[in-house]
Amino acid sequence: MYRTVLASLALSALAALPAQAAEGKRIEIKGELIDTWCYFSGVMGGPESVVGTAHHTCAMWCAAGGIPVGLLGEDGEVYMVLKLPKDDESNGGETFLTLTNDTIEAEGMHYKRDGINYLVVSEVISNEGIPNKTHEDFGVIPGNTIPKSIVKEVLEEG
Amino acid sequence: MFKKIIAIACLATMPVHAQEGAFAEGSKAKSWNLTAQEKARFTARVVDVLCELTGDCAAECGKGTRQLGLIREADGALIFPTKNGQPLFTGAATDLQPYCGKTVEVDGLLTGGDEITSGMSKIYQVQRIREVGGEWGRANRWTKEWAKKYPGAKGKGPWFRRDPRIKEEIAKDGYLGLGEEQDKLFIKDLY
Repeated sequence: MYRTVLASLALSALAALPAQAAEGKRIEIKGELIDTWCYFSGVMGGPESVVGTAHHTCAMWCAAGGIPVGLLGEDGEVYMVLKLPKDDESNGGETFLTLTNDTIEAEGMHYKRDGINYLVVSEVISNEGIPNKTHEDFGVIPGNTIPKSIVKEVLEEG
Repeated sequence: MFKKIIAIACLATMPVHAQEGAFAEGSKAKSWNLTAQEKARFTARVVDVLCELTGDCAAECGKGTRQLGLIREADGALIFPTKNGQPLFTGAATDLQPYCGKTVEVDGLLTGGDEITSGMSKIYQVQRIREVGGEWGRANRWTKEWAKKYPGAKGKGPWFRRDPRIKEEIAKDGYLGLGEEQDKLFIKDLY
């Protein structure tokens, strides 16, 4: 009887899952949280110019706009972040916005489906802030990121 | 299942150059001159990606909070839409949300993928969407939804210059994310 109840519960749980729930793998990974649209589409230039400080403000615009945030791992792969610890608001959510371009070390579950990597982060082990100083090579991308009024104000300060 | 096998078999027998545009037929997607850009129009079921992959499901696909995906009818592939049709730094999930769990027809562009990261599939930009057999609509509702959410952020300029969360982050960490002093040094050096 006990086994029958357990089996029924297990079947119920399975029935609630989507038909093709993927096999996940627990990983630890380090990388930068990036704007995936600009990185892959080339809409603002090569991938090396749309990461780090050069693209930080634009990456915030994109994260707030609901463009998926990805983790660019040290292995060169991009992992689409579907969840941060206790925060599943991957469509423009607060935590995703505030972490853009930070380099983090994270633990979580990695899923790969139809050629795309996905990451469900269970813990952010460390956060280095933004060590990727790409503005030294690329300025800001796009070029009008900093409003003219701010530029004028700073230059007038002397 | 049988339909899926037939579709996969048909795709597998096509020459490589034809596979590159396997879903381009009938597409009216506008060019954005993107990396490895490819027109793609197909029917698909709208899903909550987190739910689809992990079983961590939320009511109504998260009611606009989560990223949504497209399970393409022809081959069962999970296509990841990352952009809507507006040239305004806006994603696709908000435009797909009203169709959670439904089968839709979408038209747009595939981009990136293997050209950027070896072995990776392309991501998708949705330009038009409709329920199968329904009227086409443009994937451009993001800014309307934003305006409803932030009624106090009215004013001149695009949404991203007025968004209170972004303004708060810039006030805290500057445009480079390194603080106001670094911004000033950068501006003085560059201009």
